[in-house]
Amino acid sequence: MADELELLRRANPVPADSPALGDGPLDRRAEQGLQRLLHGEPPRPRSGLSPEADSSRPRGGLSPEGDPSRARGGLLPEGDSPRARGGLLPEFDSPRRRTRLLPGRRPALPLRRPHVERPPRRIRLLPAPPGRTPRARLLWGLAATVVVLVIAVDAVLGGPSTSPAVAAPRPLTVHLQSRPVPLEEMIALADAATADHAPGLRKGTHVQSWSVALRDDERPVTLPEERVVRWRADGSHTELVMATDPRRPGRPVLTDDGDEPREVADGHVVSRTTYPPMWSDAPPEGTPPHTAAALRAYLTEVVRPGRHRGTAPLSTPELLEAVGELLDHWTLGARESAALVRLLARADGLRPAGEVTDRLGRPGHAYEYQRAGIRRLLILEPRTGAVLGMEDTATEDDPEYGVRAGDLMQYRAWMR
Amino acid sequence: MSNDDLFAAAYREHYWAVSRYVARRLQGRADEVEEVVAEVFTVAWRRRADLPATPLPWLYGVARNCLANAVRGYGRRRRLVDRLGNDEAAHGRHIEAGPDTEAPGAWVHEALDRLSPADREVLRLAAWEELGPEEIAVALGCGSRAAAMRLHRARHRLRAEIDRIRPMTAAEPAKHPAPAVVPASADAGLCKDHRHG
Repeated sequence: MADELELLRRANPVPADSPALGDGPLDRRAEQGLQRLLHGEPPRPRSGLSPEADSSRPRGGLSPEGDPSRARGGLLPEGDSPRARGGLLPEFDSPRRRTRLLPGRRPALPLRRPHVERPPRRIRLLPAPPGRTPRARLLWGLAATVVVLVIAVDAVLGGPSTSPAVAAPRPLTVHLQSRPVPLEEMIALADAATADHAPGLRKGTHVQSWSVALRDDERPVTLPEERVVRWRADGSHTELVMATDPRRPGRPVLTDDGDEPREVADGHVVSRTTYPPMWSDAPPEGTPPHTAAALRAYLTEVVRPGRHRGTAPLSTPELLEAVGELLDHWTLGARESAALVRLLARADGLRPAGEVTDRLGRPGHAYEYQRAGIRRLLILEPRTGAVLGMEDTATEDDPEYGVRAGDLMQYRAWMR
Repeated sequence: MSNDDLFAAAYREHYWAVSRYVARRLQGRADEVEEVVAEVFTVAWRRRADLPATPLPWLYGVARNCLANAVRGYGRRRRLVDRLGNDEAAHGRHIEAGPDTEAPGAWVHEALDRLSPADREVLRLAAWEELGPEEIAVALGCGSRAAAMRLHRARHRLRAEIDRIRPMTAAEPAKHPAPAVVPASADAGLCKDHRHG
């Protein structure tokens, strides 16, 4: 067998002679980018509404029907490149087979980069790669749930009817004078709940979530959705994503499905996808165990998927991160929930906060973990210890993104 | 030549190399490549006075930082995009052969993914960007000896992961002792078993 570097070389996903990105003269957009830098032309508006944007090829996701974009790459021939169709630099033109890296079943996700003229100070907000430090992991957990959208303000905030949809939910508040219930007490309840006709483990998830979409120097917009994943006996599964906001049933909901954030009707189907059979034993796809020790190992593998997991015990931020991952894949049965409560009871810094009513109106016991500018709240079902939800709240201002201390950053509320 | 001229020459010469660098690290997010590349060159433009005589490794270093920004946008869509990747593989677009065949792919990526981000990057720079230790040092912002050492260690760890995966993939033919008659789709399923949920 070839040496490892040679194997890796052969697995290069974008080789130097790639049809889409192989060496050659600049295409029209690249040339325009250079001219903008050299001659100080104003950067192209990010909304894509300028005449220039209209006449040049669209950025990803903005105009699926638009002219092909070389940079969009891909595997499917889709006709002539802009260069072949006589762009500004016809002498450089040469047809290139365009390819698409993403399946073409929905428009490309419109992740937009922040304004290119901004200084790279945003780097300071970035977490280290996962697995570096507990703090970095916590930040990573937050960052991995934050969507950065750079959008036309008027498109979202201009209409008066949109204001309800963009109002961010508030963090859950603990009921006054409620008694914080130690996790040790929850162990007994959770164990008792495993008897008789207790609900069983089920692959798939049902979750309502909301994520802040940070915008440079603007207030965040809200992106509430509900996701249902159901697995079939043959290993295939379906995923249904709907736009819905439990705070305002029946009211329009903001979604970022498609090109730009926009309002849709409550219950609007963002995507409905059926996936062919697939199997894996690796957490979090593999079946979670129902003993505390085995579940700890399982969750460790969730957050430390590499071979070198180390011997350090799972930290609380890691544990909470892994719990979120687990519940995004599985609906736990009573036994797994009981094992999880045992792990949570041993987690350092996870303190009982009191009773709450969660996003879906369910009573719960809240447990709080605070670190590095974020407060993470875990909500357990009071009788069974099942995890009902988790949410993160900023505890420090971040003016760059319009985040203030006390702003909710995300929540997830799991259901059966 | 002025700094502007040098920058323009570097831009023209290396635009596509930088695009490939970004695309290799944004797999499944092809639509972001152009925007990240634009950001790379904007940052490089501001720092054009620092542009070295051999600018490409330096540009890779700029791109590495810009990509770190892009990670933030991964966000809430991560799982969905992951599923897109799974779906792609399940449809045979990324079906790859085992380690003893001529066309390794996904399983090598799997081995790579098991390494730390630092290991992954030094290996990619060596294998995909085909940089030597001196150039890797520029891209990573470290000394060349440190880069060589990182590469050395990362190669060992990649080797270990490949060896770890290999028994699993090598065991598959036992289930199908006559691979020549196994339909392609069945092969695809076997390959996928180890990669996806």
